[in-house]
Amino acid sequence: MTVGHARITAPPPSTPPAPIPAISVRGVSKVFGARRALDDISFDVPEGAFVSIFGPNGAGKTTLLRVLATLARPTSGQVVLQGVDTKEEPDQARALLGLISHAPMVYPDLTAEENLLFYAEMYGISDPKARVDELLDAVGLAHRRHDAVRTFSRGMTQRVAIARALIHDPRIVLLDEPYSGLDPYAVDVFDSLLSDLRGGRTFVMVSHDLKKGLAMCSHALVMARGQLMSFQAKDEIDIAAFERLYRQVVGMGVA
Amino acid sequence: MMQYARPKKPSTWQHFRILLRKDLRREFRTREMLTSMGLYALLVIIVFGAALALTARDIDIVSMGGGLIWVLIVFTSLLGLGRSFSYEKDQGCIEGVLLVPMDRSVIFLAKAVANMLFMLVVEVIAVPLFYFFFMTGSETSSTFLWIIAPLVLGTIGMAGVGTMLSTITMHTRAADVMLAVLFVPIIFPLLYACTTATTAAILGSVAWMDYFVIPLVIAAGFDIIMLLVCWVLYDFVISS
Repeated sequence: MTVGHARITAPPPSTPPAPIPAISVRGVSKVFGARRALDDISFDVPEGAFVSIFGPNGAGKTTLLRVLATLARPTSGQVVLQGVDTKEEPDQARALLGLISHAPMVYPDLTAEENLLFYAEMYGISDPKARVDELLDAVGLAHRRHDAVRTFSRGMTQRVAIARALIHDPRIVLLDEPYSGLDPYAVDVFDSLLSDLRGGRTFVMVSHDLKKGLAMCSHALVMARGQLMSFQAKDEIDIAAFERLYRQVVGMGVA
Repeated sequence: MMQYARPKKPSTWQHFRILLRKDLRREFRTREMLTSMGLYALLVIIVFGAALALTARDIDIVSMGGGLIWVLIVFTSLLGLGRSFSYEKDQGCIEGVLLVPMDRSVIFLAKAVANMLFMLVVEVIAVPLFYFFFMTGSETSSTFLWIIAPLVLGTIGMAGVGTMLSTITMHTRAADVMLAVLFVPIIFPLLYACTTATTAAILGSVAWMDYFVIPLVIAAGFDIIMLLVCWVLYDFVISS
């Protein structure tokens, strides 16, 4: 290609840049006193993946999730969410995150609508009322919008918690044993909500239910004693070998 | 689900208003703190009555009034401050708030202002009750109403320090005891200054202004310094 007398050479064709992982964990450790809750954990989660985290009690699963959620600071290492370093730019990272845990994080004395409006306004949603209406419809609680959350069953409270976590349309959803204490009906409702949400979002779920966790995931991560034992895409997993590994780490018990 | 505009991060002032409104709405619905603090204040007044009943003719209740009012306020406040974070912790609500992109010091400011308002509401009821039970039979000075100044300054400082300490002790065992153990020594200069100023206003002697203004300046200085320290340290404290 020429422009005037100058000859401009086109740059050589280059390989397209590798996609930025949705979650990049690099050498993360978390120490509580003399106990290493997380020990040099590293892994990358691609955009749109569903990661199930398995491991025995005390393996560090919840601590890892809390570090990803910016609720706990790693003692060392780095967590980057969609290119945003959680230590350098915590606010930008938090805007990407939604957390659903066994604690619903909603005020029992406020109504479902008041709780969701509170969080919608805190996140700066432009039309909080419309967003709350939409989410209450989605979780099937529009008819109970004016009732205090303390009058709800565990399953209904968890549905409010799901709406709370999704109020700002997070790109990364963290789930900490979200099925704990749910009755079969609430499990079905939760499953249906999760499948509706799957498109494009990245999920990380801590689970004790191997069968369910494997059925839902695209990647499986196994932890024991604060260490990463295995991180594999589901289509690479030999289920029988994975179950053996899981039984082995569960046998290792609490760190 | 419908697509909507990406959220625009609210200002610090907007976050403050939203958090304060939530605390006020919750309290006026449950009246948990106001009822427990109000009842506790009444019980303290009854205990004072029982304790002083036999000696009332021998002691000058007016000169003790300032001190007794502050005993009443400190113990009543401790009860309320201890509860101000317990409900945030119970359902993991504080973590829901911590997940929001915001300056976390605003949580301190909103909670401290809410606690201050609740304490002032209780004082508005408890101090006149104290006056009614113990001081109506005595002659009080014309400067009595000046006690409002040390009451307000003392309440601001205690709400600020108490909010910080109740955050620190939130996850400890025996949080109420820990709060009291830390709270009283830290607010001691404020308590001393406010008691002196309150007593000066109640007695209203010739040079009462001398005993009133200097403690009030000390109390105001304490408030400014402690509130600034709490504001600066709060992000670190709550994130830890």
